[in-house]
Amino acid sequence: MGRVSDYAFINAKLRARIGIMRSESAIDEMIKAPTLSEAIAKLDGTRFARLAEVYRATGDLQQVELALVDDEIASYREVASYLEERSRGYITMLLEKVEIDNLKNALRIWYSAAIRGHQINSRAPYIEKRLIVHPIDYDRIVNASSFQDIVHALSATPYAGIAREFADRDLGVTGLFPLEIALDHLWFGQLEAAAEALAKEDRKIAEAIFSVDVDLKNILFLIRYRFYYSLGPEEMKDVILPYGTIGREAARMGSLPADEMMARMKGIVSRRYPAIMEEIDDIRGMSDDLTSQDENAMQILRIENYLAATREKEYSRLLLGNPFSIGVVLAYFFIRRQQDGLVQAVLSAKYYNWEEGKIREALHI
Amino acid sequence: MSMFTEKMKMLTAVVMDSDRDAVVKALLAKGVMEFVRMDFLPADKMARLSSHSSSVPRAVLTDMRIRIETLLREASIQLPDLDSMDIGDLPPLDMEGNRRLLDRIGGSLQTVRNRQKELNQKINEISELIRYQSEGKTEYLDLRVGHVTHSTPAELQGRLEPIGGIFLFSSEPCISLTLRRDSQRVSEAMDRFGWTESTDVEEQKSAMDEAIGKARAEKAGLEAKLSELSQAAAGKIAERSSELIAMWVNVRVHELCEHVESRFSYTKNTTLFSGWVPADSEEDVTRTIYDTTKGRCIIEWTDAADLPREEVPVMMTSPKILSPFRRMVDNYSTPEYGSINPTPFTAVAYLAMFALMFADLGQGFVLLLAGIIGTIYYKRNPLRKDGIISRYLCNLLLYLGPASMVGGILFGSCFGLPLFPALWFEYEAVVAGTATEGLITSIYDILGITIRFGIIIIYLGLLLNWVNLVRKRRFFELVFDKNGLMGGLIYTLGIWFAFGFVASGYRTFPSAPWFAPLLIAALAVLFLKGPVGYIIARRRGTAEGGIGHLAVDTIMDFVVQVLEIFSGFLSNTLSFMRVAGLGIAHASLMSAFYQMAEMPGSMAAYIAIAAIGNVLVIVLEGLSAGIQSLRLNYYEFFTKYFTGKGIAFEPVSFRSRISAD
Repeated sequence: MGRVSDYAFINAKLRARIGIMRSESAIDEMIKAPTLSEAIAKLDGTRFARLAEVYRATGDLQQVELALVDDEIASYREVASYLEERSRGYITMLLEKVEIDNLKNALRIWYSAAIRGHQINSRAPYIEKRLIVHPIDYDRIVNASSFQDIVHALSATPYAGIAREFADRDLGVTGLFPLEIALDHLWFGQLEAAAEALAKEDRKIAEAIFSVDVDLKNILFLIRYRFYYSLGPEEMKDVILPYGTIGREAARMGSLPADEMMARMKGIVSRRYPAIMEEIDDIRGMSDDLTSQDENAMQILRIENYLAATREKEYSRLLLGNPFSIGVVLAYFFIRRQQDGLVQAVLSAKYYNWEEGKIREALHI
Repeated sequence: MSMFTEKMKMLTAVVMDSDRDAVVKALLAKGVMEFVRMDFLPADKMARLSSHSSSVPRAVLTDMRIRIETLLREASIQLPDLDSMDIGDLPPLDMEGNRRLLDRIGGSLQTVRNRQKELNQKINEISELIRYQSEGKTEYLDLRVGHVTHSTPAELQGRLEPIGGIFLFSSEPCISLTLRRDSQRVSEAMDRFGWTESTDVEEQKSAMDEAIGKARAEKAGLEAKLSELSQAAAGKIAERSSELIAMWVNVRVHELCEHVESRFSYTKNTTLFSGWVPADSEEDVTRTIYDTTKGRCIIEWTDAADLPREEVPVMMTSPKILSPFRRMVDNYSTPEYGSINPTPFTAVAYLAMFALMFADLGQGFVLLLAGIIGTIYYKRNPLRKDGIISRYLCNLLLYLGPASMVGGILFGSCFGLPLFPALWFEYEAVVAGTATEGLITSIYDILGITIRFGIIIIYLGLLLNWVNLVRKRRFFELVFDKNGLMGGLIYTLGIWFAFGFVASGYRTFPSAPWFAPLLIAALAVLFLKGPVGYIIARRRGTAEGGIGHLAVDTIMDFVVQVLEIFSGFLSNTLSFMRVAGLGIAHASLMSAFYQMAEMPGSMAAYIAIAAIGNVLVIVLEGLSAGIQSLRLNYYEFFTKYFTGKGIAFEPVSFRSRISAD
């Protein structure tokens, strides 16, 4: 089949959905609503209407979030079913990110019980236990008495290698952070490999957006972990994703002393994304010293929001490109995830009785 | 119904400030006036007037109204019809009091939801135990059967319950079913109460079934309670429904008054306002204002003809029976003030096109039936959100069904079968190539019919355009425009020429002594468009550019205009071949399905395949014919006479859907 016949239907379908998503004012109305119940009622008549039904039936926000994950998985599967095999493989790889996030949640619950000794009975049922992409035994994870159980639970998945790697580490000391970062690295690596299987034009689009995406992620890592959580330069080497412009440069500079590497990376960000660097400097209220330790959470949030807006622009540009390509599919999932995230964030904020102004400031709306 | 847009008049009135609220409410009740700002007054006069200032901003009123509506919707309570209410004596607006009541209702609703959440979490916890047992994952369960030797079983149960699990402690031996991941906590609690594990094998064996039985019973009980609470949440709102509705009425009326009064101007003791009213409501509005103010008012009416046409809002009246077609027109655009109302022409053209494309007595009846069922369903469920088959589509099907049935009678088709003699010709037989008698025997004849139909539609469009131009006194466009008289003349010559060529069997072009002179004359007139326009503009003092500029413009304009006339009218006319195309596809598909139905050789299979075929054709062809009819109306018909430059008349009434600016 030709590109037009491959993408004509899904392009029309997804553009129509994107149009509807962008025209909805539910999020703004939710922010204005004075209580959680009233905020959720605003979802009636939108694509989130099922969430309102779930909430009315259970009153349980965690149940609503689980329904949101269910819907997200269903949307990946639906879109994949309309695509030809190579593109379907790439979409399945995107779905794997949902699986990894779900796995991280399961691991956090296990960690909370096994390492911290917390009660998890009110959290464990809200893990998506059905098959997403790979057969993960989530019951075994949340009930694991040792990390070996987790290794077994992941034995039939691509995550088995990472699990084995961490089997001998003392997670009580390191926390789950290195494991979660390793899972992220694995996914980005697989996504890059999956792009190679795409048709020529799709590959170009997927690689271009991947490169920007991973660069922005690395900038975020630099800001968040190096300057906010004060991770040491050596630890940062493990955090930085070895893909995209920044990651590849970092990998090339592997033999340099960590401090010098950080300084050079700042230079790369300044050259490759001068506008971002300017904005970050502006937000942080200084000219060129990114190593200051007096960052506060709101500054980080503003930088994160700025990076998210930059990412949004990149994905929106895909909609202006060739309609008969994977671009519209990638843009659709980006917009959808972004909107899902917003709905989830507003509902959480309403749950904790945040004021309208505070929500708007935090979400940059 | 008027064939043209309704005549409008502009009202300008001055009333005493003390009468303002009463006048606004009376005019809202009438619902025939679109209020406008008095920008037409000279700046020095406007400077002497003060603008509206409100005690409660409209955005705040809108937010509160939406909040009330959200709560009412939660309890499936319908909003009252303001038209049927006496809104003369409303209590003063107590925003703080309203907010307090809404907070109270919102708070009690949230309390119910929180209780639901607790129950749901408990259900999830119990479900996990039941699931592990049913999936054979008993290694995650911790079943204990034994006796409490210190204190009482009830006290131990009290300690264990926060951990979560199923506890049968009312009889001996005591049974505890928890999750293995909690075993350390369970053991610690049990040790304190001197728990001794039973060694009776039978007791151990039956304990799991007993515990799971209790878990299932407990879960069922909790689910029932959860469902009750879900109802209770709506009940909490329903209890206060009368207060909420009264509050909504008050807020809504104030919101509408704010919307209207934001356009008013004021002196110290008077209020000045202005707005558009349909001319036939002039007397009624005048009387309403006089009666409300007891004559303490000044009223002035200005005829729309005295104001620029593009500023006059457009109102079209059509009988309710044409409402689906009115919506098609509204979706396209608003016609210019004073022009023809396109709705009745759209109704006739749309139904004729649909009937030609989807001509089938049986399938038309199915469409009609679907329309009737859908309409009744939506009437019985007024709060129901529109599905794929929306309210509008159901309404439209009530027309499309009969149109299709009439087509079916003309062409002798019922569910794709020639069950009765055709009134005109047998469509299926022509498509199958088995028709030998009558005027229509081949597919080319069908194509010819649809092209003739297209020509009629295009001429009708041109005629309507000429009527519009005469009414608007745009005689220049009437003569020179591509949809004007010259365009029409060239189109007529083209049709004569094309039909002559076809009549000769595509062998010779027709000739007539008048043809070439008429064509040349028409082209010459078109060529003069530029110079004539220039002379008129010079007389008005609006001409731009010199003679060289005029010459280039004239030549370019002429070339483009001639190309547009030739290619535009040709493509517009040939576009109607899709009517034949869809009709032929319909007949072919039905014939193909019946051939497929005969293949298995069994009656059951025949009926099943024929039924599936009919359903597919009704859905796909019906949708296709509907879309193509709309397309032909929008692109071939409307473009001839419907400029869409008008602005819609939007009177404010208690039914208006206005919101915050």
